[in-house]
Amino acid sequence: MVAIEVPEINYTEYSNRQLAAIPLAVLVLALAIIGGWYLVTGAPANLGLEFTGGVELRIADDGDGNMEQRIETAFDQEPDSVRSIPADDVYVVTFRSAEGDPDGLAGDLEAQADAADLSTEAIDQVSPSFASDTARTAVFGVGLAFLGMSVLVFALFRTFVPSIAVVVSAFSDLVIPVAVMNLLGIQMTLGTIAALLMIIGYSVDSDILLNNAVLRRTGEFYESVSGATRTGVTMTLTSMAAMIVMAIVASVFGIDLLRNIGIILAVGLCADLMNTYLLNVSLLRWYKFEGVNR
Amino acid sequence: MFEPIKENWRILLLLVVVVAASVALFAPQFGPETAPGEDASEAQQGITNLQYGLDLAGGTRVRAPLLGHTATGVDFGGDQPGDVAQAVANELDGVPVRDVGANAEEGAVEVTDQSVSESEFRSAMDASGYAYEDVRSGVTQETRDVAENVIQGKINEAGLSGGSVQQVQSISGEYFILVEVPGQDRSDVIDLLEERGTVQIDIAYPTDNGTAVQEAVLTQGDFDEIGTAAESERGPGAYVPVTVRNTADDGAQSPAHEFQQAVADRGFPSAYSSNAAQCDYSENPDDVSNPCLLLTVDGEVVNSFGMDSDLAASMGRGTWADTGNFRLTTGEFESAQTISINLRAGALPAELDISGQGTSSTISATQGENFRTYSLITGILAVFAVAGMVFLRYREPRVALPMIVTALAEVYALLGFAALVSYPIELAVIAGFIAVVGTGVDDLVIIADEVMSEGEVNSRTVFDSRFRRAFWVIGAAAATTIIAMSPLMVLSLGDLSGFAIFTILGVLIGVLITRPAYGDILRRLLTVR
Repeated sequence: MVAIEVPEINYTEYSNRQLAAIPLAVLVLALAIIGGWYLVTGAPANLGLEFTGGVELRIADDGDGNMEQRIETAFDQEPDSVRSIPADDVYVVTFRSAEGDPDGLAGDLEAQADAADLSTEAIDQVSPSFASDTARTAVFGVGLAFLGMSVLVFALFRTFVPSIAVVVSAFSDLVIPVAVMNLLGIQMTLGTIAALLMIIGYSVDSDILLNNAVLRRTGEFYESVSGATRTGVTMTLTSMAAMIVMAIVASVFGIDLLRNIGIILAVGLCADLMNTYLLNVSLLRWYKFEGVNR
Repeated sequence: MFEPIKENWRILLLLVVVVAASVALFAPQFGPETAPGEDASEAQQGITNLQYGLDLAGGTRVRAPLLGHTATGVDFGGDQPGDVAQAVANELDGVPVRDVGANAEEGAVEVTDQSVSESEFRSAMDASGYAYEDVRSGVTQETRDVAENVIQGKINEAGLSGGSVQQVQSISGEYFILVEVPGQDRSDVIDLLEERGTVQIDIAYPTDNGTAVQEAVLTQGDFDEIGTAAESERGPGAYVPVTVRNTADDGAQSPAHEFQQAVADRGFPSAYSSNAAQCDYSENPDDVSNPCLLLTVDGEVVNSFGMDSDLAASMGRGTWADTGNFRLTTGEFESAQTISINLRAGALPAELDISGQGTSSTISATQGENFRTYSLITGILAVFAVAGMVFLRYREPRVALPMIVTALAEVYALLGFAALVSYPIELAVIAGFIAVVGTGVDDLVIIADEVMSEGEVNSRTVFDSRFRRAFWVIGAAAATTIIAMSPLMVLSLGDLSGFAIFTILGVLIGVLITRPAYGDILRRLLTVR
């Protein structure tokens, strides 16, 4: 059996600039991807059904074969996507709502599926106006959560540099998963919003642990950092393990909500490892050795 | 003898919580509420008292706004609401006064007729001379409350057990009616909701210029008793037995007497002097030869019928109103049933806009059951992953095993809580449970590392001081999680409030109960040699 040995980074070999350069470069890249996405598609991410409106049907695979083709021909309107979930014997068929004519689409599609002998296991219908409302609510919610977290962090540490270090890495932890989602073609859904909020909660843990070790404890800087790193990396890795397993199992079974939460949190926690132990450490070191003396 | 209790009270508290959770999960007293005509074992889903939400049990959820426009901040100038509504209705072409409502308390006037656009309503308000602040889409609070009750009534009358109705507000301030009906498919629920269900009786009678119609001789409010639909004893068809109210306030004519008068005036007694006479409205609606009663639902004629000669005669003599018994006959049993439901539950005060601005989702019972199994597997595997990581890291069962057990106790306590308050378990809640295991173990790692750092733990004082230091970080981390999740709890974002509620609850149970208990367990294991 292999034991997990948390690697010790020899921080003394690198300057603060070198340490901070990598996470900052990744952050800039992530922002560029999101910005580019916005310019090209008009939205910062691939918006899912809940944010665009439309109809999603889960159609049972009756074992007669040729499902994809039968689904394609069953509906008057071309489906925007057809996804097969073998473990659950269903196909997920998505229709973005046609501009200006969302009325009764779900009912029509249900009837068309019936007519083609396809049995629908589930139907989700979201109207465009409701969807845009949901999108606004979601952005508002994430913003509010982030603001609340920032205020709390400043209240806890009461010093500018260490607090802003936490806030900046939390911001980066949010932005990187969104960029990765865009690249992997994962859609932004309510589940991913929940995951993003969860990242705010999770990722700050290791930052708080690190700041606490350096600022509130007596002891040598590198010693405190290595102690906090040992604990923090274990924490992040355990959470990541849970999330990766959840993402894999849920995608096999086609439970989108759990899959999305799993993927986003796994990516976010990964980003958090980098941000905490490169960005946050370098800011803390600067603060401890140079900032305080100013 | 109290010393051991005092020393281990945190562990004991955890045990008490676990026992309480077991009681809530398994004791029949905490079983789910039973619907009428359902016994306790039927209401229970599986061996526990847990209730499952739609996505794990199957069913339909519909969320839609009530259509209408409302003028707010209306100055009634001391006029009665009824007069204000009448005045506004008069300015709107072809809109019956029942589609205009005025509420003095809210200072609001609403129109629930879909054909009226916002600008038309604004000009009608201007023309009526009542000053107002603004016009918004939607209806008044009063109307929403009525609608909520009516829908609940319809669901109960239709025998859809476990259905629920509530009002939710979106971030832009718009109100939605949220209806959840377990175990029903989409079309049944939507059919039930989309019908406004205004039932009334009109009289069609012959004149020299063809058929004339006297509208609304009987409306919803005129009935005293409404029976359940029954198959007709003679021949095909079905009917709903009703009793028309034959009492009225201070000298006004009662609905039964008014109806009797109208029937007599339109010539029923003479036309139906023998049982051979028939109503021919369905053959030639524009030129009837005998007067007919028309049963209309939402303005559409669902049935037309003549009258039994005895009944017509008793109306002509003026004796029918003493009892007021009457049958609303229909062609099919189903439509008799719908009419009975609509009469009992009442009409929706405004239309639900399901296809336009609404959302709906349906999950079949088998799919829901599958999701239940799959999410259970997902959860268990996630816990194994966490356990594996913890064992790999500490390689000491003394530290790792209590960690896993404590984290599971946390989830168990949450499940008990869900059973206690009958909170339906949904996929989002399960995601919350997994998140709780994640954060829970994180915090236990902090405690273990802190306690075991800097050499051996050989005295209680050393342990306590290290534990307290660890707790500062845990408390801070818990506070950020709670703050991050709290917007989700209150914002109307689908099922995600369940996720937030259970994550926050889990964090609270963790910080207050399970993590201190883990500290005690660890102390015993590390200091007692």
